[in-house]
Amino acid sequence: MAADPFDSALDLLRRLNPKHTSEHLNAIISLAPDLTEDLLSSVDQPLTVKRCKQTGRDYLLCDYNRDGDSYRSPWSNQFDPPLDEGGVGGVGPGGSEGAGEGAIPNERVRKMEVKANEAFDIYRELYYEGGVSSVYLWNLDDGFAGVVLVKKAATPGTNTEGVWDSIHVFEAIERGRTTHYKLTSTVILSLSTNVEATVGDMDLSGNMTRQVEQDLPVENDDSHIANVGRLVEDMELKMRNLLQDVYFGKAKDVVGDLRSVGSLSDGARERETQRELIGSMKR
Amino acid sequence: MSHIETISSFVKGAPPGELADVVADIKALTASEPNVVEELAPAFEKYNEEQFITLKLPGSSQPVLISPHNSLGGGRYYDVESSSSFEKASAVQSYVLEGAQTDLVKSTLKSLGAYVKEHFPNAALGAYPVESDSKVAIVIVANKYSPNNFWNGRWRSVYTFDPSSGNLEGQIMVDVHYYEDGNVRLLTNKAVSASIPSGTGAGIVKEIASTEKKYQEDLNKSFVSLSEGAFKGLRRQLPVTRQKIEWERVTGYRLGQDIGGGSSKR
Repeated sequence: MAADPFDSALDLLRRLNPKHTSEHLNAIISLAPDLTEDLLSSVDQPLTVKRCKQTGRDYLLCDYNRDGDSYRSPWSNQFDPPLDEGGVGGVGPGGSEGAGEGAIPNERVRKMEVKANEAFDIYRELYYEGGVSSVYLWNLDDGFAGVVLVKKAATPGTNTEGVWDSIHVFEAIERGRTTHYKLTSTVILSLSTNVEATVGDMDLSGNMTRQVEQDLPVENDDSHIANVGRLVEDMELKMRNLLQDVYFGKAKDVVGDLRSVGSLSDGARERETQRELIGSMKR
Repeated sequence: MSHIETISSFVKGAPPGELADVVADIKALTASEPNVVEELAPAFEKYNEEQFITLKLPGSSQPVLISPHNSLGGGRYYDVESSSSFEKASAVQSYVLEGAQTDLVKSTLKSLGAYVKEHFPNAALGAYPVESDSKVAIVIVANKYSPNNFWNGRWRSVYTFDPSSGNLEGQIMVDVHYYEDGNVRLLTNKAVSASIPSGTGAGIVKEIASTEKKYQEDLNKSFVSLSEGAFKGLRRQLPVTRQKIEWERVTGYRLGQDIGGGSSKR
């Protein structure tokens, strides 16, 4: 049976160097143009920063605030460059499911969007002490959906660079007093260092994705922001620990599996001695 | 870029031990051009030589490797230790090394074998005369594949020793891929050089051993400094208050006020 080209494209992107996902994505699209839309909407790429002309504040670009070549600022709610038929009302009768089509949330959801941007701006400052954050919401038939984005770059030493991109996509399905939240989170983390005298070139780059679903009580629209806030906060803490384990634990362990700093025969002798010792203690 | 160039770049970028998976993906993406994989022969040859792909010859327990330094052309390579040449682990023939560097190659191999055994649980090695029999190339490749646990790794080191100047130059490269619910890659490249006045095989290998030991220690330190430096600088584990955010209060508060935790005693 032939493999599904879309699954194969995702598998390939999971194998090729994650530092260059955008280039690989474009190369795959050139081979299989039919997959363009599906791939662009399901492959997370590093976020780009743009300055809002109305407010002077930075915001992040993604497929969810894009309409053609224009992007909507969460601070002003305006598209840049402006759309031909801009303004509220860009939402068709079918709602704005899927976004990426000039989706502007309705009045209630836009109100939540404004509050969510303020809340996550505080979150970003407390956890990231810098960087840029943006939240975009859109309507669903039975609730709403959104994406919480954070980007931070750091250059602690002249030879060291780090970039963190968080992309949290969620759905909130409203069922009376409780809401069912489904969160899919991706962190793209790229770290590199170049010190000629010691380690030379070292690049640790990648992305990890995790999902969580939860039913939570809701009193009013502020509850949604608190619920999503807690879900994202817990997820980022979990993912930060996971990234720490994989980047600095697992990767280092594999290097140690490839080459042993100490002598292998000494190590084998030590283990043998230890086994004998434990054996004699059991007796 | 033509399709063949694009696909060849995928082959070149295949992580350790995952070439077959990458090729399967390429086939699925180019189902309308079924002959495309046949056109990839040059890309495969390049991949094999760049990655020092190892294989076991029939009846032998030690793996041999493929590199640009032991190519006889036409897809045939040779191994000094087993005095044989081969194509894809088949058509094995006797191959006896001759020439000015033969003794140095053999004494290097002897020391190198002992060193590699002490530090690499699963590796292949080689030493070959290169540049018209004027220098000696030394290659080490170690692989560890654990696809069931979603990781694979490769260590490569390659050196050239120039007997006329006593100079040793080389490169150490580590490639680790972790891909459980994600895609994380460690890629390193370290250029090294040293002078070996004795010019003996034992002297060369002693230098390689100490260079690689220092490199691995530096790499281990670098993991720690990236974790303590760049990583910590990107995102804190918890806010300064060491408490999670009180989200109910966040929307009513502005920055500078106490929202990261309950305490208002500052």
